[in-house]
Amino acid sequence: MKVSCLQENLAKGLSIIGRAVSPRSTLPVLGNVLLATDAGRLKLSATNLEIGINCWIGAKVEDEGAITVPARTFIDLVNALPPERVDMELIVRTQTLNLRAGRSEANIKGIDAQEFPIVPVPEGEGGIPVEPDVLRTAISQVTFAAATDESRPILTGVLAKFEDAQLTLAAADGFRLSVRTVSLPQSVSDPFNIIIPARALVELGRISGEQKEPIVIIITPTRNQVLFQLTDVVLVSQLIDGNFPDYRQIIPRDYTTHTVVDTAAFLKACKTALIFARDAAHITRLHIKPGTELAPGSMLVSATSAETGDDVSELDASIEGDEIEIAFNVKYLIDVLSVVGTPQVALDTTTPSSPGVIRPVGDLNFTHVIMPMHLGR
Amino acid sequence: METNGNWGIVGHEWAVALLRRAVARGTISHAYLLTGPPGVGKTTLARALAAALLCQGEGEPPCGACRACRLVAGGNHPDLHVVASERVGASLKIDQVRELQRQLALTPNEGRWRVAILRRFEEATTSAANALLKTLEEPPPYVVLAVLASDADRLLPTIVSRCQQVPLRPLPVAVVQQALIERWHAEPEQAELLAHLSGGRLGWAVRTLNDRTALRRRAQRLADLDHLLNISIIERFRYAERLARDPVATQETLDLWIGWWRDVMLVAAETDAPLTNVDRESALRDYAHRFGVERSAAVVEALRSAAERLKRNANPRLTLEVLMLDLPRP
Repeated sequence: MKVSCLQENLAKGLSIIGRAVSPRSTLPVLGNVLLATDAGRLKLSATNLEIGINCWIGAKVEDEGAITVPARTFIDLVNALPPERVDMELIVRTQTLNLRAGRSEANIKGIDAQEFPIVPVPEGEGGIPVEPDVLRTAISQVTFAAATDESRPILTGVLAKFEDAQLTLAAADGFRLSVRTVSLPQSVSDPFNIIIPARALVELGRISGEQKEPIVIIITPTRNQVLFQLTDVVLVSQLIDGNFPDYRQIIPRDYTTHTVVDTAAFLKACKTALIFARDAAHITRLHIKPGTELAPGSMLVSATSAETGDDVSELDASIEGDEIEIAFNVKYLIDVLSVVGTPQVALDTTTPSSPGVIRPVGDLNFTHVIMPMHLGR
Repeated sequence: METNGNWGIVGHEWAVALLRRAVARGTISHAYLLTGPPGVGKTTLARALAAALLCQGEGEPPCGACRACRLVAGGNHPDLHVVASERVGASLKIDQVRELQRQLALTPNEGRWRVAILRRFEEATTSAANALLKTLEEPPPYVVLAVLASDADRLLPTIVSRCQQVPLRPLPVAVVQQALIERWHAEPEQAELLAHLSGGRLGWAVRTLNDRTALRRRAQRLADLDHLLNISIIERFRYAERLARDPVATQETLDLWIGWWRDVMLVAAETDAPLTNVDRESALRDYAHRFGVERSAAVVEALRSAAERLKRNANPRLTLEVLMLDLPRP
């Protein structure tokens, strides 16, 4: 292999694939990145067997070939090089990569590219295009609700349901549930469900920041992987096997109190409550008082800590229904209020021991359900 | 890996035949329990099973030539997970089982299966073993587990009952000897000695063949034994204290001495049973003459119970001190 490219391009490509490297794996080769010539460009790949990323950068290819080199060493080295042309040559006999840039020269000991797991690339046409901004928003609204505890692997994933011209993403960790629908530009022929590890979607959100063209979603024929095709980048994720719990049963169908408040004010009140609530299992009370003919409705957000003290914030609210006092984990409230994306947010409640539903006002595509906490008196 | 009719494995023909039939008919069990003494070939067989399942070549798997077979042989296949305690004698922890379960929840990367090999599972902590139960009960459809242990009795019965058992027996000495000469190019004399010493464990014999210090250690330990028989109890205790600090050396020494005293007993009883320490017949005769059948049988028993107690987590130093009291006095 003999190939030249610009230091900036190489450094950028490595920053995209770098997060998929798994330095502490039982397979030593997973701590490496793959460099391979591919149709006049240089392909960089990394995988941790859950997420794999391929990234293509412009390069002048003199000799075809491939090698894997230790990611840490290679990335640190490339970042230290001057911003000019980098010439790389593989010494096949010793599997060493020789690197020259400006007046620097380095040699990195590699592992045979044959040892590297296959990170699939899209084959042929097909796939489901999605607008990148829409998908990124959906990802941010759903992934935080997935479980981080590995005891139920299925809940560490996000359900992706493709049906007609609609994609539904859902994640739940047993205390909260996020559901978001995204409309697709074209109908899928056969509806299907897959469960994608939440980590993979978070990573997709991270690397698709500059993406303008639609992101194409492709399922491999073996149904073992999902591919997200971006411009010059493909993210591959393994899927989680199993049946996702039926989340629709969890969403309450009706309510007795419907509260609409200003999102930013509610979020600010929650952040203030967190100062005290963090010493008290994050319990934060919401006291929702409907308005009378003389006074508008209000919501009191309060937290109490036996050690540090207490606080209460009052918000104006437009309330339909009965007065209620209910407690939630304030971190969960902050998580969801940070991503609703509308100026006003609606909270639907029935009793202090049944789940609350949060929806952005004016956007029917997002629903969030939170289990309440014990009021504790 | 050679592709002869036995998956390239020496011996264990019935076990290979059983697994081959299962692969060919597609009646693979979700979990196998391979048992047998260390070095008998459990990991080799489990790896061959993994290669047979993951092989992408033509003809009967494993072909030994395709990408999957080469990755399995090199220990680099992304769909093969090998889990073991950090070192022999340490414990296999619940975090390792959880990490494995996280990986098993993901669909296979390259092949149709995900294969997990859990080595020395008798070293698993109770919580680790219990954590694995969930996977053994409801594994994803593409998962095959190979649980490896020296003895099924040392595992939780709930683990054993959820696996198909494949007990591996030690190989005949002649088979080990022949394999050492033909496949590992050992000198005939060395092969004969190692085959006898191995007790039918080819893996042990190959490791010893490649470990130049192993035979020197053996000579040293037999010399130690000789020395111990001629010194006072206090000096013996000092030896026990030193030895007890290294669990691996303790195990190795006890195994060696058991084999030795068994030989002494056999020579004393004038039987025709094959000896283990074939290279030291004159020394064995000398011991047999000095101690006779009954005293050497008592020593074998004392060594065996010491080894057994150590497996059950007895205090190594105290156990060895008791042993020192049981060895014949000058």
